[in-house]
Amino acid sequence: MIQHIDVHAVLQESVSGVYTDLVTRPTGRVVRERIERAMATAQDPVTVTRIDFTGVGCIDYSCADEIVAKLLRDRRAVVVLSGISEGHREAIEPVLAGHGLAALVERREGGNGELEALGAPEAAAALVDELVARRLAVRTPAGTIALTLA
Amino acid sequence: MTRLVDVPAQFDDRSFEQFAGAYAAAAKDGERLLFDAHAAEWASPYGLVGLLAAGQAAHRPGSADRPLLTAPTQPDVLTYWTRAGFFREAAELFEIHGKLPRVKPAEQSDVLLPVTPVRAAEDVHAVVSKIQQRASAILASELGLDPKATMGFAMALSEACQNIVEHAGTGGWVAVQAYHWRRKLARRVVVIAVADAGVGFRHSLEPTQSKRFGARWSDAAALEAALVQGISRFRDPGRGQGLAGIRRYLARWDGKIAIRSGTARIAIVPKWDDDVPLKDGLPAFPGAQVLIIIPEQGSTTP
Repeated sequence: MIQHIDVHAVLQESVSGVYTDLVTRPTGRVVRERIERAMATAQDPVTVTRIDFTGVGCIDYSCADEIVAKLLRDRRAVVVLSGISEGHREAIEPVLAGHGLAALVERREGGNGELEALGAPEAAAALVDELVARRLAVRTPAGTIALTLA
Repeated sequence: MTRLVDVPAQFDDRSFEQFAGAYAAAAKDGERLLFDAHAAEWASPYGLVGLLAAGQAAHRPGSADRPLLTAPTQPDVLTYWTRAGFFREAAELFEIHGKLPRVKPAEQSDVLLPVTPVRAAEDVHAVVSKIQQRASAILASELGLDPKATMGFAMALSEACQNIVEHAGTGGWVAVQAYHWRRKLARRVVVIAVADAGVGFRHSLEPTQSKRFGARWSDAAALEAALVQGISRFRDPGRGQGLAGIRRYLARWDGKIAIRSGTARIAIVPKWDDDVPLKDGLPAFPGAQVLIIIPEQGSTTP
């Protein structure tokens, strides 16, 4: 099963006001804890968690670390990031590289669900190899990868 | 007895050392301070938030008397300081002498973000939200930055403000402004200034870093550890990302960052500037003061 988590909705529930930006460590911590709770309490066994950043404005390095890096470090499920803008990528990529981590990112426009690995190159290659070996993903003729789960 | 602290006529990061020297000399015997800005002709965002930090530090525990501030006498200077949001914050810190104009802090001008208090994470959310609405057009159309750079700018601002929330142990202020920097660059720049009168970098990093540095431990060593080596007081391996991220952003857009704390000042100096990378032995000034400058893109030959 693929579990879908709407980060914008989680953010709206987590901070007072109407902010759309993922900034500050305390905010990142609260949002991550809510995501972890959702992952832990899913009714069906979750193989892949799609974390959707659509509608999120700015992500700063602290939130990228607190949310993305820590979720990946715990590795409760395969995490796919979707709705990632260029600006989000600017924060997430160096944080992952700094930790020696990699994440799968769903290509935004015209991607047809294709994925790419973002982060430390060695970790990215290992992540793709692992998913292909576990038959959770396949390599496409275009050189990208795609999830085998719908 | 009241001790006098002169506010430089041109009050920016360069003349700040003159101000810090006057502050250190006046504050050493714990008397009430009078900050005299009557002759001020101009102040950068750095000067304004630095003056607020001095006012915060000059508050004497157990005394009802606030430090005194003589407001600038030139009407246009007074109006500008008011529009920049300075007096709204200063009113809580100083006993102000001088007639203040009745103008609101700027909503539509080169003041991208008036002097704004930062005390908690919620304040950082408000700052980032506000700056994205206002900075986007100026960064793209006036500074020639890629429109996508706005988000990086907001990230840099967020991390600079979070230093106060996470490390200062007290509140501070941020201000963002765009202006034509004739003297140095003959170009437009966007400037972020952040200041607090908190514990400073040395004190913040001391529990985890002082042993490692031994006898070399100092304000300068603490600044170098934080800005150059990305060291944080937290043992969590993900910490220290903020300043590293700011550096990456500035490297991309040929920007500058300078941080002053205690008796030292460190800067990542771009080619267009002739600042000194590290200065030690400066007059002691509490907390930390951060300056970020992003120039108009194109040739930045000084």
